[in-house]
Amino acid sequence: MPATRQATLSVIGKAQPRVDGPLKVSGKAMYTSDHNFPGMLYAVPVCATIANGEVQKIDTNAAEKMPGVRAIFVRNTIGKLFRASEGVAFDAEMSHVDENRPPLEDDVVRYYGQYVALAVADTFERASAAADAVKVTYSSRPPNVEPRLAPETNQKVESERGDAAKAFDAAAVQLDQTYDLPPETHNPIELHASVAVWDGTAFTLYESTQGVVNHRNVLAQMLGVPKENVRVVSKFLGSGFGGKLFPWTQSALAAAAARQLGKPVKFVVSRRMMFQSVGHRPRVTQRIRLSATRDGKLTSLRQDWVNHTSILDDYKENCGEATPFMYSVPNLRVTSAQARRHVGPPTPMRGPGAVPGLWATESAMDELALKLGIDPVQLRLVNEPKIDEGLNIPFSSRHLKECLSTGAQKFGWEKRNPSVGSMKRDGLTLGWGMAACSWIAERFAFAASVELRDDGTARVSTATQDIGTGTYTILALLVSERLGLAVDKIEVALGDTRLPPGPLSGGSMVTASAVHAVTEAAAKAIDALLATAAKAHGSKFAGRKASELEYTNAMVHAKGESASSGMPFADLLRAGNLQSVSGAGSSQATFGSASKPKFSSHSFGAQFVEVTWQPEIARLRVSRVVTVIDAGRILNPLAGRNQIEGAVVMGIGMSLFEETSYDPRNGAPINSNLADYIVSSNADVPSLDVHFVEYPDTHLNELGARGIGEIGLAGVAAAIANAVYHATGVRVRELPIKIEDLIV
Amino acid sequence: MITLNVNGKTHEVDADPATPLLYVLRNDLKLNGAKFGCGLGQCGACTVMVDGEAVYSCLTPILLLQGRSIKTLEGLGTAEQPGPLQQAFIDEQAAQCGYCIPGMIMRAQALLERNPSPSDEQIRAHMNAGLCRCGTHMRILRAVHRASKTMQGAIPGAKRA
Repeated sequence: MPATRQATLSVIGKAQPRVDGPLKVSGKAMYTSDHNFPGMLYAVPVCATIANGEVQKIDTNAAEKMPGVRAIFVRNTIGKLFRASEGVAFDAEMSHVDENRPPLEDDVVRYYGQYVALAVADTFERASAAADAVKVTYSSRPPNVEPRLAPETNQKVESERGDAAKAFDAAAVQLDQTYDLPPETHNPIELHASVAVWDGTAFTLYESTQGVVNHRNVLAQMLGVPKENVRVVSKFLGSGFGGKLFPWTQSALAAAAARQLGKPVKFVVSRRMMFQSVGHRPRVTQRIRLSATRDGKLTSLRQDWVNHTSILDDYKENCGEATPFMYSVPNLRVTSAQARRHVGPPTPMRGPGAVPGLWATESAMDELALKLGIDPVQLRLVNEPKIDEGLNIPFSSRHLKECLSTGAQKFGWEKRNPSVGSMKRDGLTLGWGMAACSWIAERFAFAASVELRDDGTARVSTATQDIGTGTYTILALLVSERLGLAVDKIEVALGDTRLPPGPLSGGSMVTASAVHAVTEAAAKAIDALLATAAKAHGSKFAGRKASELEYTNAMVHAKGESASSGMPFADLLRAGNLQSVSGAGSSQATFGSASKPKFSSHSFGAQFVEVTWQPEIARLRVSRVVTVIDAGRILNPLAGRNQIEGAVVMGIGMSLFEETSYDPRNGAPINSNLADYIVSSNADVPSLDVHFVEYPDTHLNELGARGIGEIGLAGVAAAIANAVYHATGVRVRELPIKIEDLIV
Repeated sequence: MITLNVNGKTHEVDADPATPLLYVLRNDLKLNGAKFGCGLGQCGACTVMVDGEAVYSCLTPILLLQGRSIKTLEGLGTAEQPGPLQQAFIDEQAAQCGYCIPGMIMRAQALLERNPSPSDEQIRAHMNAGLCRCGTHMRILRAVHRASKTMQGAIPGAKRA
């Protein structure tokens, strides 16, 4: 879209309530487990009760005789399940799975809760009872779920410039601290679910997935059938937060059971299994070493992290994602390593890499500011880089300084008294802390189709999905903007591999990826319409050249004449006896591209937090958060604000409550329910103030939109820990911050 | 056979008396509004109203419900004609992924029928039993306030309190 059009955007940038709102408040939005089919059976797995060992014997005799039971599947009866080869491009051929071993592939147990058998019966209760009645004998060894992680001897260098060790040793001011993050479990309220239908030739898989195309590509390989024989559908997702990006083993098991039995099979993972077999954010330990001159210029930055991973899979939590470009520092070294534990495979969780990384680096920046006696906002401002010093290329659009100064002003930072415990209100001690944040801004490949129809409506379709972020609404807005049609005249079709291939809902990239493809598809549909207008019988433009015609707000008219002098497109289509005309659009991936980028593209932001502390009763509350985000043009400020607010709320949970604990005896996640794994609730949510500084980043797409799903979580934990220090004088370097940490 | 009154309609249900109401609503009566989130009464996605009170349908066996009045999300309105509380949730953009929302709305409905003008604190305390992982809490709070204004006097049961 040329720059001149941007000045006259009519719906983009205005608050648009989500188009699927009425479905979601009335029970009409169809989530995976809402799908039922005649003759459908229910699958419930038998979960390993050890984390390290072998299955010696599975006795299914009693279970098989129970009422309603159709089958108890084990390794040699489930049917062949293959491994999926890795397709690394982020396009229609993408094929990625975090747990590479197909379920039931061998008799080795490598994590607690690994599926070792599958009960299928005519009701959920009967399948559950049968699964309980399966007797499994194991040979068991002690699991390694040791929570302490230490730097490994084989740390891999992720980014390096200058000589960080030398600069550190020579520096006037040094900081050397280690920051820990526990395993976190995504816990969307919708449980992972798969409903598999097999018709003898092809599968239709209803899945709770953040990527129908990737899911299709992986499952076709695992099931050993051509891709065109697998259709994956995900119309509504009860959110995912990364946990539903890649297929988990229940999907292959449901499909395999459906094939073996010739009946539809529903497999809904239980809340306990959510902690065992569908991914988590891994435990991370990070040693941060910073050095600076006495006036606060950074001279070196080192970040050495280790994350745990599972026994078979190599999951790297990319904690150095934001480190090389966040600040100007001549000497830098970022290294990584993984340590194997008997846990299920980790997977991305909202803001993977950057969120844990910034927890450590932004805590360390606060500690350095204290050592220097410099205001924490000021320390960030004086170390603002001119370019991305990691890649030696300019930023496409970076406005972190404005985020910091705007945040400071909205928050009232200038009233902050830096001395610990010195600020009071209504008998409470106040703590004020802040942190900067960042998140990647990239595109996945995206294909879309737009149809103009003879009833005056339009339809846009693509095989991405809406995980709750508002993709249905964004696509309607993009089409509305280009076609000049009201949003309620636009049907949006998503979440089905029969549609043109769309991307994963991950990395906060869908919106930025969609802009060009959808706009181009709409423009091509208009071209097709004008060609029709030039030749259709009954068109008042029949015999004219298409190039002499123009489309404005649902009307086709001669160039240079008013839109009202023309013909509504619906009339034109009817005149030509056409139900519709369509256009296709696409855009390429930047993410994962082999070519070196010309610009460093990231979103930035600042988090300002107030906590209240009552030492008498050891009561800590987050009372106020101001968040300022630089994420390019915000296409729908209502949904955008939603995303940031929700991420901050999740950040409060990350900071104060969330931790998955493994039992050292058997490797079981022991707090595997929502009473023992605490997430933020209504009582925890403070006043939230979200601002956007809007600088369209047109290097990414013509509207200059980046993504906003994840950045709101980045920096929250550090800002809270920094505020807690300011209130209490206690520096907590291991999340979550517990009351017992603060009682000194 | 157990007789259940759901949204003003009588249903004869052929299910074990110990069956949780949630399973009967979803599997037998095809009412998908109430959601399964934990089966343990911890998340609140399954919340419906029984005789005006918010209950966890995943924990409530149907044998306790004969002769009682059960109300689910579907009893408040439709996508085309949402009730006032549903409309308030739309207007305040309280749904993100929407999975917790049926339970949130039914819990809020129970509050508003008992207390038509709840305070911030009362709403927070009452709504705390419902978990939302998208973090829409402030919007839910605002939606309940908004509905409280639009519903004043519109609910027959509102005088009871």
